Amino acid sequence: MPLLQKLQTDDPFFEQKTVALQRLYEVIDPELFVNIMDLGLVYGIEFTPAQKILVTMTLSTPHCPLGEAIQEGVKNKLLQEFPTYQIQTVIVWTPAWSLENVSDEGRKLLGMPPKG
Amino acid sequence: MAKINIAKAPVNSAVLPFYGTAALFFILLSILLLFQSGSLTGGYFNFHLLSIVHIAVLGWLTMIIFGAGYQLLPVICERNLFSEKLAFASFLLLLTGVVLLAAGFWCTPSLGAVFPVWGLIGGGLIFLSSLLFVCNVAGTSKICDSYSIQKNFILTSAIWLCWTTLAGFLLAWNLRYPYISKDHLELLKLHAHMGLAGWFLQLIIGVSAKLIPMFLLGRSSKNNLLTKAYMLINAGMLLFLTDGYLNGITDQAIIYLILLLAGIACWMLYLKDVYNNRIKRPLDITLRFTGLSFINLGLTIAALILIVLWRPPIRSQIIYGLLAILGWLSALALGMTFKTLPFIVWNGHYKHLNGKGKIPLPKELYRHNLLQLQWWLYLLALYGLTAGLLLQLDLLIKVSMLSLIGTSLSYGLNIVIILRHKTIFIHATTPEAPDR
Repeated sequence: MPLLQKLQTDDPFFEQKTVALQRLYEVIDPELFVNIMDLGLVYGIEFTPAQKILVTMTLSTPHCPLGEAIQEGVKNKLLQEFPTYQIQTVIVWTPAWSLENVSDEGRKLLGMPPKG
Repeated sequence: MAKINIAKAPVNSAVLPFYGTAALFFILLSILLLFQSGSLTGGYFNFHLLSIVHIAVLGWLTMIIFGAGYQLLPVICERNLFSEKLAFASFLLLLTGVVLLAAGFWCTPSLGAVFPVWGLIGGGLIFLSSLLFVCNVAGTSKICDSYSIQKNFILTSAIWLCWTTLAGFLLAWNLRYPYISKDHLELLKLHAHMGLAGWFLQLIIGVSAKLIPMFLLGRSSKNNLLTKAYMLINAGMLLFLTDGYLNGITDQAIIYLILLLAGIACWMLYLKDVYNNRIKRPLDITLRFTGLSFINLGLTIAALILIVLWRPPIRSQIIYGLLAILGWLSALALGMTFKTLPFIVWNGHYKHLNGKGKIPLPKELYRHNLLQLQWWLYLLALYGLTAGLLLQLDLLIKVSMLSLIGTSLSYGLNIVIILRHKTIFIHATTPEAPDR
């Protein structure tokens, strides 16, 4: 299920998280030309009362030469919306990214058949 | 949480000079071939051909592989390159060495003539350059946490390169100061295959096993196929070289060839598994060059089998060399350049701007119509030349060589466009400029 739909309305940062995740739809993987949300690269987002945003994400491959550029894209996009926040990205390899992570829209953009 | 290291690309100055210089050597190679077409059809050994071959394998192919290698090794090992200074030093040595060695061959009239001392120095510089390359590969992979068969292929190929350049230097020494009692041309064949199967083939296997899954977004869990390929190819090479040096190239070469082919088959099965488990989307033109390269590898192997079985004259052996160098290896270089160089340059210009505003994509750093032109001209050049040599059609050979010049110029122009790229950035908060 997409992260946006997983958000709980009783989450104290519901609004901020919604805005942040929407902005992350604008971060494009420069190799695949598809945004990182539809690719399923973002695993989670946390806001802290100390004005810190922690984005937990992965890359399509551990050796992605554009990995730093994608992380910069996440930071820059979130800073536009939350200029006073400290943004941190954490790259994890478990669970490993797979094609199952790609949303229906992402599959369409990649020219893949829909799931199922 | 697992490891958190991601790619640590070296500075552009350690990589970009290789790409630019390789393109220049490719253009030079295509022009020299046009004026020396007699060397291909003459059916006899000559030094002009030797000069052109060394421009191709060292100035064009090894140059570009060094550049791509310095870029990819940190990616594969998830660590910084061992030494960017050594990388640049290897560039200077390789460049000077190739110019001196190729000029040395060019100025040597015949096998009995004296090879110039500066040509010999060129050979020595190339050997030193390959040593620096192997130091960087060994130094980078030594601090590599993860065991990977791809890393082993690359390190082993670098060691084979050192042996190849050392053997080449000793052969060049023999040209000036004769000391080897064995047939020079027979030893030349061993030297050539050390380079082809030891250096190029294993380097390509190592890099392709890492990059092709990345580009296709495919996966394979059959790493054992790569391990088998590694064992078989190196066993075949060691046996071929030992036997070839001690006893000359005999009918037993077919056994070593079978080992080598079994290794290549394992590699192909691995890639097939990756291909079957990829995101099924249309292959772009850069990957079409890669596909073509595999077809050319098949043709090269077919030509090699025919040579081993039938021992045809030198003229037919030239077709084998043509398919290997201008077919298999060059097709790969012509395509992979556009899968690596635009990303290297893009990272330098846009990594920190990503997400801040409107920026071009890596694929927008070069002209696609030029790449299309390069594709068609290359097809005409390679297959026209092969047919022209087989059928001894001089006109077709000339037309194909003109087409090769067109290929190299369209390629070179795209390289210039990428290398001279200026940052284009429209800030997100400013109104977007209207599309022209």
